Amino acid sequence: MSAERMENGGGGVLKTFVWFWNKAGILVVFLLVCAILAVMTGGLFLRPENILNIVRQVSIHGVVAVGMTMVILFGLIDLSVGSIIAFSGILAAALQVKWMKGQNELWMFAVAVFVALAAGAAVGFFNGFVSTKAKIHPFIITLGTMSIFRGVTLLIGNARPITGMTPLFRRIGADEIKWDWLPFVIPYPVIIFLVCVAIAHFVLRKTSFGRSIYAIGGNPEAAYLSGIMVDRVKILTYTILGVLSSVSGLILTSRLNSGQMTAGQGYEMDIITGVVIGGTSMLGGEGSVLGTLLGVLLIGVIQNGMNLMGVQPYWQTIVKGGIIILAVLMDRLKRAFQTD
Amino acid sequence: MRKLMVAVLVVACLFGSMARAAENREYGLSFPTLANIFFATLQEAVERKAEELNVNIVSLEANNEVARQISIVEDMIVQGKAGLLLVPIETDAVVPAVEKLNAAGIPVVTVDRRISPEFGVKVLAHVGADNVIGGENAAKFIVDRLTKLHGEPKGTVIELYGFVGSGPAIDRSEGFQRIMKQYPNIEVKTQTAQFMRDEGMRVMEDFIVSTPRIDAVFGANDEMVMGAIEAMQASGKFDFSKLITVGFDAIDDALQSIRDGVLTGTIEQFPGKQASQGFEVLYSFVAKGDKPASEVILIEPQVVHKGNIDELY
Amino acid sequence: MAENDVVLRFEGASKRFPGVLALSDVAFDVRRGSVHALVGENGAGKSTLIKILTGVHRQSSGRVLYNGADLNFNNPHEALLAGITAIYQELNLVPTLTVAENVFLGHPPKASAGTVDWRAMRVMAGDLLKFLEVDIDPGALVRTLGVARKQVVEIAKALSMDARVIIMDEPTAAIPKKEIDTLFRIIRTLRERGVTIIYISHHLDEVFTIADAVTVLRDGRVVDTMPTAELDEAELIRLMVGRELTEQYPYHPAKPGAEALRVEGLARKGVLKNISFSLRAGEVVGVSGMVGSGRTELLRAIYGVDPVSSGSVYVGGAARRFAAPRDAIEAGIALLPEERKTGGLVLLLSVMDNIGLPSLKKLSTRGVMRDKDLTRTSERMRDLMNIKTPSLKQRVMNLSGGNQQKVVLGKWFARDPKVYLFDEPTRGIDVGAKVEIYNLMNRLKEEGAAILMVSSELPEILGMSDRVLVMREGEIAGELGRGELSQERVLKLAIGGESIGRKTAVD
Repeated sequence: MSAERMENGGGGVLKTFVWFWNKAGILVVFLLVCAILAVMTGGLFLRPENILNIVRQVSIHGVVAVGMTMVILFGLIDLSVGSIIAFSGILAAALQVKWMKGQNELWMFAVAVFVALAAGAAVGFFNGFVSTKAKIHPFIITLGTMSIFRGVTLLIGNARPITGMTPLFRRIGADEIKWDWLPFVIPYPVIIFLVCVAIAHFVLRKTSFGRSIYAIGGNPEAAYLSGIMVDRVKILTYTILGVLSSVSGLILTSRLNSGQMTAGQGYEMDIITGVVIGGTSMLGGEGSVLGTLLGVLLIGVIQNGMNLMGVQPYWQTIVKGGIIILAVLMDRLKRAFQTD
Repeated sequence: MRKLMVAVLVVACLFGSMARAAENREYGLSFPTLANIFFATLQEAVERKAEELNVNIVSLEANNEVARQISIVEDMIVQGKAGLLLVPIETDAVVPAVEKLNAAGIPVVTVDRRISPEFGVKVLAHVGADNVIGGENAAKFIVDRLTKLHGEPKGTVIELYGFVGSGPAIDRSEGFQRIMKQYPNIEVKTQTAQFMRDEGMRVMEDFIVSTPRIDAVFGANDEMVMGAIEAMQASGKFDFSKLITVGFDAIDDALQSIRDGVLTGTIEQFPGKQASQGFEVLYSFVAKGDKPASEVILIEPQVVHKGNIDELY
Repeated sequence: MAENDVVLRFEGASKRFPGVLALSDVAFDVRRGSVHALVGENGAGKSTLIKILTGVHRQSSGRVLYNGADLNFNNPHEALLAGITAIYQELNLVPTLTVAENVFLGHPPKASAGTVDWRAMRVMAGDLLKFLEVDIDPGALVRTLGVARKQVVEIAKALSMDARVIIMDEPTAAIPKKEIDTLFRIIRTLRERGVTIIYISHHLDEVFTIADAVTVLRDGRVVDTMPTAELDEAELIRLMVGRELTEQYPYHPAKPGAEALRVEGLARKGVLKNISFSLRAGEVVGVSGMVGSGRTELLRAIYGVDPVSSGSVYVGGAARRFAAPRDAIEAGIALLPEERKTGGLVLLLSVMDNIGLPSLKKLSTRGVMRDKDLTRTSERMRDLMNIKTPSLKQRVMNLSGGNQQKVVLGKWFARDPKVYLFDEPTRGIDVGAKVEIYNLMNRLKEEGAAILMVSSELPEILGMSDRVLVMREGEIAGELGRGELSQERVLKLAIGGESIGRKTAVD
C-alpha cells in the first residue's frame, strides 16, 4: 500500500531516477564521482600511487564487507566485527611479542595467524549459534559480543598497544606483488580482498550454500519448508564473517605493526554503509558481492578525495552521513517500486 | 526532578557521614578511558601511589562518554568517597558534577584538563601539563630543527589533528598553530586522524600523494604519528635522517622509536607524575588538612628527543 | 440509464506498463447506489482498475469520469477526499489504537482550541457503528477484534470520510461464513444510502447474492457488463475463462496401490490427539474440519515442522522420525503450505530458483550447482505445469496467484515425491487455474503419488477426494469413503453430531 502511494506521490522524475539507479546505479555513480574527483584534484586523484592507496585502504574494510554482505542478505546484521578485528589483532600481536617471544619466526607466524582466525571463527560461531538457537535478534547478541571482545582486547593488551611484529608477519600488510610484465604493483591486502570477493561471488552465485542464503533472506519460512537447514546456514555464515573479520584484523595489525586497543572501532558502520550502497538490501534477499566491492570502493574514493582536497573533517562526517541515508533511501524506493 | 535530586543528596550526605565514621575511607578516581595509554599510565601511577600511602582507591573509566563520567561521580558521592581525583573528559560538562561534589563536601582534585575558574566551582587543586604549551613546545622544536636543516625556518609541515571536538585536540592544535603562524615560510597542512593509528596511516598515505614535499609531521598524539611513519616508511620516499616527526604523550612505542632513530621527538606531559602528585595533594588535605601551596600545579611539558631520552628515562 | 445515475464511467481507458498492456480500451458504467461486481481471473486487470480509481495509477489513455467530470487524482489521499476509498484484504488499521481512533485516523474531530475532541470522536464513531448495526465498542483496541469486525471498522472509517464509492477487494476472503451475512447486510444498508459499492470476489455465489450488475474482465479487456439477474453461474464462468469449463472438479477414480504413508497414534500436546490413518499410492485423501480443528497442524506434524509428543510415521512401510522438514523431504514427502506467499515461495527469487530450492542437493556436485541441470529441470516443470511466465528468470512475485501455485507444485514435482501434503491448494486462485491444479493432482495420482489434501472448501473436498478424514478438536472424528460423501455428513462429523466409519476404515 505505502509503496503504491509513494510511487505516485513522487511523480515521474523520482521514478525514473530510481529505475536508473536500479539498472546502472552504483557503477555509474562510482565512475561519476571518480571523474569529478579527478578534475577537482587536478589529476592527483588518478595518479597510480593514489589509486594504490585507495585500494589498499579499502581492502581492510572490504574483506569484512564481503562477509557482511552475506549476513545482510539474511536481513540480519553483525555489530561485533570491529571488536573481532581488534581481538584477533591483539592475539596475533601478543603471541609474537609476548607469549612466543624468541621462537622460530615461521612457526610463530603460523601460530599467530591460525589462532587469530580460530578466535574470529569462534566469536562468529557464538554470534550465529546463540542468535539462532535462543531466537534473539543478532543485533542484540552482536552488540553484546562487540562490547565483550573490546574488553577482552583491553585485558590481553593491558590497555596498551602491542608493537613490534616479526618481519614475516609484517609482510602481510606491507608487501606487494611485483611482476615485470605488470605496469603496477599489487599489495598483498588487495590480493587478499580480491580473492575474498571472487570466492564469495562464486559461493553466492554458484553453490547450493549461496542459493540457500538468498532463499533464507527472501523468505526464511519457505526456505525451511523447502528443506534448507536455516539455522545451520546462518551459523556458518556468521562464522565465515568472524573469520573474515580476523583476516582484516591480521592485515591491520600487520600494516600498523601494532595490535591496537581501538583497532576497528566504528568500522562496522563504514562496512555496513559500503554493503548497503553496493545495493544489498537491509531487508534481505537481494544483493551481491560485486555491488559491495563497488560500495566500499565508492566510500574509499570519496574519503580519499576529500583528504586530497583538504576538506575539513566536519564536512567529511556530514558527507558520510548523507551517503548512508541516501543509500538506505534508494534501497527502500527500489523495494517500493518492485511491489508493483 | 528537583525534589528527587535533593532527596538523593540528603541520602548521599547521610550515607556519607555514616561512612566518614569508618576508618580508612576510600578515594575515587574517574578518568576518560582505558583504551588510551595516556590514561592507562595515569591510572597505574595513581594506584601505585595509593598503595604507597596505604589507602584504598576505586578507579573507574567512563568509556570516553561524558554522561557516564557524570554518573560515576554521582555514584561516588553516594558512596561517600573521602576525596575524588577527576580527569574530566570535557571540562565544561563535568561542572554540574563538581558542584554536587562541592555540595557533598567531598574534595576534588582535577588532573590533566582544567575546569575554567569562571564556573566558580571549588577545586582543591589542578595538576596538569598545559596542552597549549605542549603544542607550542612541539612547534618550537620543529621550527628549531627546520632552521638547522635549511638555514632558515621554512618547509611544509603536516599537522595531524586529534579527535574532532575534544579538548586536548583543540588545545594542542591551538598552541601549535600559534607558533607556526609566526613563520610565513612554513606551510602547515592540517587534517584529522581522530587520535587513531590506522587513521594516521591512511591520512598520511593521502598526503603523500597530494603533497609533493613533506619536511615535518606533527601528530597531536603518538599513535597518529606512528601510523603516519608506517605509511611514510612503506612509501620509501622519505629520508628519515632529514624528516622531522613529532608526536605527543611519550608512549612506550614512541620512546622506542626515538631510540631507534625514526621518530624525532614527542611531548612528555608526565601523566604518572601529574596523577601521583595530584593524589598526594588530595591525600594530604583529607588526612592531615594540609592545603596545597598553589591551586594550579603545572608540570611543564617537555620535548623528548634522542639527545635527552637517556637522562629522562 | 439517466446520465446523472452514472457515478463512474470508463471511456476507452487503457493502462500500459513497460512491456505489458494491463488494461485495454476499457469502457463501462457504474450506476450510483448500486453494488457493482468486478470479476475476472487473476491478472485480468481488476487491481489496475482499482488503482486508477484510487489515484495510485493514472490511465495511459482514454477517460475515466467520476460524477461526470474527469477523474484526476495524484494520490490516494485525493481520491479519499473526493469520496472514493478502497478496503483491501490486508486491512489498513493500527492495531494498537482504539476503534474510534482508527475510524478518525488522520481527520479527528477538533475542539475549539484545535485539540482533538476525544469525546466527540468516540460519540461519532459510536454513531457510525450503530448505523452499521454492529455491536463494537468504540473504545476497544483494534487488535482485540476479529478480522470481520476489523473490516467493519474499515467501512466505518470510509463512511467517516463521507465515502461515496467504496471498493471492496475480496472482502470475504478472511472472514468466517456467518460473518458474511453481516457484511452483506451492511452493504445493503450502504446501498440504500446511495453509496456505490464496487465488489471484487472470486466467489461467484457471492456475486449473485449481492451484486446488481457485474463487469467481466479478461486479459485487460471488458468482456461484458450485465445485470446479474440476466446471468447464471455457468454463463459467468464461461465469460471469465473464455471457454466452457466442462467440469469444475475433474475427478478420476483411484487405483490405490501400496501403502505410502501411515500415521499411528500421532499426538501433540493441546493440538493433536491420537491420529492414525494410512494413505495409499494413487489416492487423494481429503482432510476436512472446522478452522482450528488441527488440519494444518496435522500436516506440519507429519512434515517435521512442529515437534510431536508421541506417535509414529511410516513412509513406504518404514518408521521414520523427522526432526526438520529436510528429513521429511529426503523421505519423499512434499508440503504445499497454506500460504504460498509466506510458506511456499521466495517471492524475490526467480521461477527457476524457486523450483530448484528443494533440490539444491540433487542439482549440485559437492556444493556447486549444475546450472544446466537446474535450467533443464525448470524448463520441464514450466512445460508440465503450464506455468505462464515470460522467462524462467522472472521473479515469482510478478506472477499471478495461479501461476505461483503452479511453481510451488513444480518445485516439488521436480523431486518426484511419493507423498504430497496439500494445504488449501487452490486458495485465492481463479476458476481456470483451479481446474489446472486439479488436473495436475489427477496426473500425480495416476503416476502413483499419494495426496493428503486439507481444504476449507467443502465442494473441493467432495469433488476431488477418494476418501475424507474429518477432524474435530485435534482428533479424527470420522472417515467417509467417496460413496458415502455428502456435505451434510462431513459437516455433522466436523461439528460433532456423529462418529462413523473409523473401525472399518483403519485396521
